[in-house]
Amino acid sequence: MTKIQMNGYEDSYVIEGKMALPYTYFAGRVGSKFITTIRDQKKIMGVKCPACNMVYLPPRQVCDKDFTDIRDKWVEVSNTGTVVNFTVVRYDDKHLPRKAPFVLALIKLDGADTPFMHILEECTIENVKIGMNVEAVFAKETTNTILDIDHFKPAAERLSVHEINAARKQWVPADEPDTQEKRRGGRPDMSKPVIITAALTGAATMRNQNPSVPYKPEEFAEEAYKCWKAGAAMVHAHAREDGGMTTHDHGRIKATFDAIKDRCPDLIVNLSSAVGMGVTPEQRISQIVAIKPDMASLNTNTMNFGIVERKTGKIFIDYVFENTFTMLQDFGKAMEENGVKPEIECYDIGGLDNTLLIGKQGIFSDPMNFNFVWGVAGGQAFRSEAFIAMMNALPAKANFTTCGVGTDQYPCIMQSCILGGHMRVGLEDNTRMPNGALAKGSYEQVEVAVSIANALGRPVATTAEARLIMGLRKR
Amino acid sequence: MGKRLAICAVAQIKNHPNYHYLRFQNMLLECFEPIMKQTNVTFDMEKGIRTIITCSDDMFDARTISDNGITDVVGAHFRGEEKMAQESINGLGYAMACILSGHDDVILFMGHCKESQGESRRMISNLAYDPFYCRPLGMDYHNVDAFQARTYMEKSKVTDKHLAKIVVRSRKNGKKNPYARENKIIDEKEVMNSPMYSDPLRELYIYPVTDWAYGMLLCSEERAHEFTKNPVWITGYGSCMDRYFLGDRDLASNFSLKNAAKRAYAMADITNPRKDIQLFELSDHAAYQLPMWAEGVGIADECQGGRWIDEDGMDKFNVNLSGGQLNGNPLLLGGAARAIECYYQLANQAGDRQVRGAKRAVAQAATGGAGQHQAVIVMEGQGG
Repeated sequence: MTKIQMNGYEDSYVIEGKMALPYTYFAGRVGSKFITTIRDQKKIMGVKCPACNMVYLPPRQVCDKDFTDIRDKWVEVSNTGTVVNFTVVRYDDKHLPRKAPFVLALIKLDGADTPFMHILEECTIENVKIGMNVEAVFAKETTNTILDIDHFKPAAERLSVHEINAARKQWVPADEPDTQEKRRGGRPDMSKPVIITAALTGAATMRNQNPSVPYKPEEFAEEAYKCWKAGAAMVHAHAREDGGMTTHDHGRIKATFDAIKDRCPDLIVNLSSAVGMGVTPEQRISQIVAIKPDMASLNTNTMNFGIVERKTGKIFIDYVFENTFTMLQDFGKAMEENGVKPEIECYDIGGLDNTLLIGKQGIFSDPMNFNFVWGVAGGQAFRSEAFIAMMNALPAKANFTTCGVGTDQYPCIMQSCILGGHMRVGLEDNTRMPNGALAKGSYEQVEVAVSIANALGRPVATTAEARLIMGLRKR
Repeated sequence: MGKRLAICAVAQIKNHPNYHYLRFQNMLLECFEPIMKQTNVTFDMEKGIRTIITCSDDMFDARTISDNGITDVVGAHFRGEEKMAQESINGLGYAMACILSGHDDVILFMGHCKESQGESRRMISNLAYDPFYCRPLGMDYHNVDAFQARTYMEKSKVTDKHLAKIVVRSRKNGKKNPYARENKIIDEKEVMNSPMYSDPLRELYIYPVTDWAYGMLLCSEERAHEFTKNPVWITGYGSCMDRYFLGDRDLASNFSLKNAAKRAYAMADITNPRKDIQLFELSDHAAYQLPMWAEGVGIADECQGGRWIDEDGMDKFNVNLSGGQLNGNPLLLGGAARAIECYYQLANQAGDRQVRGAKRAVAQAATGGAGQHQAVIVMEGQGG
């Protein structure tokens, strides 16, 4: 200890002290696994709450949103991520891991929902920006702390769908009598942008199956925005009451529609003309006529539409979905007369034939837009050859998209994309990701669809291109 | 409105950059004696002070159980003594719980901090973080505040110029407060030219190192007349803790402050703070926090902090007439400083900075990086 004389206080002194106490801290079981996995395997692990789908980083034992015990719910997250916030520390001090100036950044790793703090290096400070892609650089020597990731460094730039689209020429339709797929016997035009649709809810998917299903208008709006951001040009929506029940109430459907349009004015909104069980044909079509969305579903055959356990064949809900010829005719006319483009839902090839038959009245304007639906209990299961048969049966100029219930979803959209068609994903059809994990929202499935398009070299359609392709009215 | 408690007297020493010639015990004694003199309160075990609440911090005092070094000075020997090792404003909440529950009816509340003692207050706040995920990265309250500043400034369109205006005003107001830290009067240009500290925070956007101590005598409504003719009432208190990890939080949402304010207002029957409250003392550890906390307590519109400054919201709502934390109070004691200023105002003792006709006031303070924990108290004068 040092005695220091103070000017004017010569009879007083102060002492220099130091608080220094060696200590051992237990990181806890969750924390220990997190750090030792970084140290030994160069992997970054988070924990995913099965109730709310949040992936937490750093990991923790309990989800503070719903108190679910998540200590064993480990998921690997990526070593790469995005800077969401940062500061440049410009002072030196003994507690700091680097000499000033250095960058501390909040980094959201791919696959995690909560950003975490780390050091960002190997770049000039002036070039650090929010949104930059970074990757982890692991430490050569362990400290048994978060510094077993030594730092993050800039990673290759990943462009968003919108950035990629902004950098290419907009697709222009050729004035031809039929589509290339027709003309060239199924050889697709891979330069044609692929339209990705996100079906946000359906009438049957509930929050107990996936907590990300939107019920309230503002939840629809947020989810639709995320889907648009991820690459969707269209959303398909069945409005819900606050408690999750489907509704045919015009006010609620309008509020849901408006909320989506307010949040994301550019997005194409496709409403359902099925609504839910136990409603009259008038209730089904009147809301479409009242709201006049860009597009609406048009169902093509009366069929079983049940809920049946796939493994055992046990029937849970036995329901006949009524879509008579008269309804097909009347709904189709009402939509066309009100500027609402029908999305023609075909649960098997018979539905397609029904449409062609009734369509002889001249109800439908070109191009007709078909959706091949797979996997409904009461409809056809996905088979590649059945898909091709339906595609070959389409009228000239017709477009096709597809969706599949449950595990049919990803194979059918991939086939559609290969064949020059479009893709629909979303929690209405499937609550999960390709690896079986619950999707955090329809937007995560849109990201899968975008990756399929990227793998095949097809551009992802902008909303303007989607309007051109499907013959929708301009905004 | 429910029951309330009285502040019968307050005392403080002047905020100072470095009381190297005073021990913190001396600092407290200079507050203790005026309280005794003003109120004639005793330490009689039947009718006097039986409970003392103190506020101090182990790391700033460089000794654990920091209250152990001051119990004799504040009269806490042989009676109840409780330490608030968090923002001092929560000591008032604790006193409120103590009195309104009937546990005791007279409480002496004392606090001290010599920020100047430690080599680095940043090192101290680094120790507030866990040793696995945050501390090794050098996180401290200043660089953590910078993350919130970036998010909030973008959200509410608050610029460098706005922050400079806040700093200049803080120092001008501080000049009218005889207990405020003596700071040089500066202009906006000088503030904006001060070195960048932790982007986007500049050095002068952050409150300076300060030493200070205070004392307050609190009692039940029934006994207030024994100690003062002019009590100021605490009518509402609310607090709220946000999540720990910075990445878990919506940094610009004011989540914990809104919740704390909602609870305090409900307790004090405040339905419209813009009309019902005449002055606000907000703990701005850094300049960006003043408009942000103003949004949180409901006197600035959401996401409109920049516009609120442009439209003279700070003067319109009588915010931080004391100079605020930004002019200099030690960490953890800003809340007590805010409450003491409200006391002066409501007791009509605020001198040059007196708000005429002030009946109700709000004091707010935050603990932790980026305002993780927030507390709000509502106070009322005799005319309230």
